[in-house]
Amino acid sequence: MNTQRDDVGIAIRSALLVKGTKQKFSLLVLVLLSILLIFIDSLDIKKFKHIRSFIKDTIYRGSVIVSAPSRTFAYFKDNATEHFDIYRSYQALKEQNQAMKNNIVNSDFLKLENKQLKQLINDEANLPTTLISARVMLDKQSPYLNSFIINVGGNKKVKNGMAVLHNENFIGRIVDVNFFSSRVLLITDLNSKIPIIVEPSARHAILSGHGSNLPTLEYLPEVHGIKDGDKVYTSGREGIFSTGIAIGEAKIEKNIIKVLLFSDFDQITFVNIDLRERKNNK
Amino acid sequence: MSYIFKEGKFKILSLFPLFLLFFISLNGNAIIDFKFFSINILYIVVYFWVLRKPESLGYGFIFLAGIISDVVIGFPLGINALSLLIVAGVAAYIRVLTVRVTLLTDWISFIPALLVANLIYFLSLYSLNYEIDYFYFLTNSIFTFIFYPILWGVFSIILNLYK
Repeated sequence: MNTQRDDVGIAIRSALLVKGTKQKFSLLVLVLLSILLIFIDSLDIKKFKHIRSFIKDTIYRGSVIVSAPSRTFAYFKDNATEHFDIYRSYQALKEQNQAMKNNIVNSDFLKLENKQLKQLINDEANLPTTLISARVMLDKQSPYLNSFIINVGGNKKVKNGMAVLHNENFIGRIVDVNFFSSRVLLITDLNSKIPIIVEPSARHAILSGHGSNLPTLEYLPEVHGIKDGDKVYTSGREGIFSTGIAIGEAKIEKNIIKVLLFSDFDQITFVNIDLRERKNNK
Repeated sequence: MSYIFKEGKFKILSLFPLFLLFFISLNGNAIIDFKFFSINILYIVVYFWVLRKPESLGYGFIFLAGIISDVVIGFPLGINALSLLIVAGVAAYIRVLTVRVTLLTDWISFIPALLVANLIYFLSLYSLNYEIDYFYFLTNSIFTFIFYPILWGVFSIILNLYK
């Protein structure tokens, strides 16, 4: 019995504590270092933030270079697929065009809706000077985190919590700022919860991300009156984001209200960042 | 001439696991996502090479690759590094215990490595209030285990080229 225990002890010692052949570090030391890093990273220490920003900026640059071949391959693959899909898109567009012609009849309703929304949106939402453009540097489709890296950071006064737009549509918010880069957490991510308003019913709700699936509306009353095609906008509640930034439209499936997003996240190259500091996103 | 060629080949092959490790980390492809399932290729790479040829994959490099992976994926620094080091630790322990290496022993001993590493990974994310898809996490672990023999075969062929 004792001999067995000794064997296990020796095995653990030689595996974890002793530096093996050509190993420069002991495994245990590195494990402890990792735990320490996780701990330090969870604390918001300013000095460490600078080092972390430098490390992240460097790694992002490296990652851009290393992933260049796969990006090029993906580019060619996308181009080929695009060409093959041209005819199909043409047919779809033809049908869509026909449907749109029919929908022109409903333009009065849209005008009314537009008027209501204009009232809803604060004037400040229309100020273009507060937006800055950024390019998507890295778009790694992580299964655990739906996010991407953009090429502006603290150098352009970007701060955590700022809204990120694709064209004029809300797509996410800044969650990590480095000197020359920032991370955008997309609204499809599990950790994303955005206060929204649905028009024309004027219902407030929370848009909750679900990873690869479409985001859904939560915290709605039982009788909400939301219908397919109702538009979803940021509500500006709690002063987190500006009011009235378009997100998508409602689609009800099995009593779950999903939101079809206006922006296709696979096609994003440039984004706009709303630099206005709201009271809660400092 | 043939000696130089042989030496060169050996040098390139001995750098292969390291190159693969950093390429995957920098590329953000630690988890390869297929349509219905996904596998954590970084776990397999670390486990196989630490078990079979530890001198070609230092712990320091594994730690560094984990940090890079954390940055690229967007997790707090140290989470991937810790789970990869756990995989390496279990592999090192199994290496000390086993005398004859076969696919079956490798494969079965990969279970505790996966379990412990994923537990640590989960606990770290949970304690830092990161929400993750648990079902995805489970299927990823299962398919990483299932795919191990395929990559074991590929890596074994590369390993045989050393000789």
